[in-house]
Amino acid sequence: MDTLEKIIEIVASTCEVEKSEVTESSMVGDFPAWDSVGHLTILSNVEEAFDISFEPEEMMEIEDVKDIVEAVNAKL
Amino acid sequence: MMTVEEQIFQNSIQQPNHIALIAGDEQVTYAQLWERCLLAATNVRQKFNLQKGDRVILAAAANIDFIYAYFGIHLAGGVCVPIDPDTNETRFGHIFTSTQPVCVMGTLHKVECTTVPFNELLTECNETLPFVQPDPEQLGDMLFTTGTTGVPKGVALNIKNLAAAALNINTFIKNTEEDIELLALPVSHSFGLGRVRCVLTKGGTLVLLGTFANIKKFFSEMERCHVTGFGMVPASWGYIKKMSGKYIGKFADQLKYIEIGSSFMPIEDKKLLCELLPNTRINMHYGLTEASRSAFMEFHSEYDRLDTAGKASPKVEVAIFDANGKKLGVNEEGEVCVKGDHVTCSYWNETPERFAKDFFDGYFRTGDCGYLDADGYIHLKSRIKEMINVGGKKVSPMEVEDILNTIPGIEDSACIAIPDPEGVLGEVVKAFIVCKDNELTDAEIINQLRPKLEVYKLPVAIERISEIPKTASGKVQRLKLKK
Repeated sequence: MDTLEKIIEIVASTCEVEKSEVTESSMVGDFPAWDSVGHLTILSNVEEAFDISFEPEEMMEIEDVKDIVEAVNAKL
Repeated sequence: MMTVEEQIFQNSIQQPNHIALIAGDEQVTYAQLWERCLLAATNVRQKFNLQKGDRVILAAAANIDFIYAYFGIHLAGGVCVPIDPDTNETRFGHIFTSTQPVCVMGTLHKVECTTVPFNELLTECNETLPFVQPDPEQLGDMLFTTGTTGVPKGVALNIKNLAAAALNINTFIKNTEEDIELLALPVSHSFGLGRVRCVLTKGGTLVLLGTFANIKKFFSEMERCHVTGFGMVPASWGYIKKMSGKYIGKFADQLKYIEIGSSFMPIEDKKLLCELLPNTRINMHYGLTEASRSAFMEFHSEYDRLDTAGKASPKVEVAIFDANGKKLGVNEEGEVCVKGDHVTCSYWNETPERFAKDFFDGYFRTGDCGYLDADGYIHLKSRIKEMINVGGKKVSPMEVEDILNTIPGIEDSACIAIPDPEGVLGEVVKAFIVCKDNELTDAEIINQLRPKLEVYKLPVAIERISEIPKTASGKVQRLKLKK
């Protein structure tokens, strides 16, 4: 499974939507559950899934799926 | 006292081209804002036959059309019932049945119900209603409390209450027409909606964002719109801090003020804000939906009183009463009660006789327990009904939580009463903690609490949970933990 696919899976399960509804451009606020708590949950699940840890300056640059993919790839 | 609507009207005359609202690329001047509020008033009368006192439920989202609808309904004599777009079916059913609205506006995410889009009130009309000053005694808003005590309760605020609260807040925070405020709070609640009224009565500019969730956007809007102030609850600050560290310090010269909502905020967080924003007026309020912002404090000028809830707001009186309604003196602990034109005029569907019981000698009973010191500062101890009675000794959950929250590894906590498993003391303390440190044992936590708390205040049970349930305004919902 590549990074994008895995992240889409995490976003979909956290936001309780179908994977098909999540795209690379899906962003914070696009789903009712992607609020601040949802965003923290997504980032923490991503950290766990890829065994990485985000710094605040990295997290503040993340607003959509594409940003998460880039942040993860930069650490792999 | 001028009503909120009258003040917006005056702003539309005195500074018609000044920007009132910004949402993304859209900008609205005061002249346009006023014209569209009157248009919304006309439409709501014509399309829904709204009569004075009729209710309209607004699934309130921070968008420009909501603002027109909100003030338009007041101008037409109606009562706004703002609710969260994520309101669940049970709660919505209760509010709908209780208020019998002429229509439901906006978008609801979790309820099947016919709703009217806000922009339906902007249909061009041949002639708009003339401006008639709303009657100060007319109901303006009805806000349903989030249910810390069970069934949602409709807090009715009349036009005078709303104007008084805005005046008190603006007097303390010192807002001016030059302010540009970023609104990231939900407008379905007293705090966020109050910020809308405060900024627009002063003739300032409101930048609508609606949420703190997208922190990148929060900062980019701050930069793009030259924002000078914003409101947040302590949990928002926790989020901003986690997501961006100390980045907010880059706006130290730009931010003139911040208003912080009333719920527990660690002193360390207050001091950190002072350090990062040395020139910003950082105002924290104490209040509730029924008596919005009854007290205030400013972190820099009252730095040695950061452990208190501040002093009575301008034009507000705060007093402490015992259970029999006797006014207490300095340092005597009892129920915090407040008096002022901002205090709710009634609860929806309650008799005046029942409502009168919420007052002692003209002071509204907040249900919070605390005392006033010799300088008039309010020291909060607990919600009266949440006090834990350990063998006849009262334990304030907040006191235990405040100490728990200082233990490294514990991010948040809430304490409740549970029946004493030994069957001796009646109730004992149970702590729920959000703990990121897996190494931290219960025994270690108790060891750390022991020097700071009397034995009867020590939790006999500790449970780890992922999140402390809180209302949207950040108040701990301890009753939920009892289930």
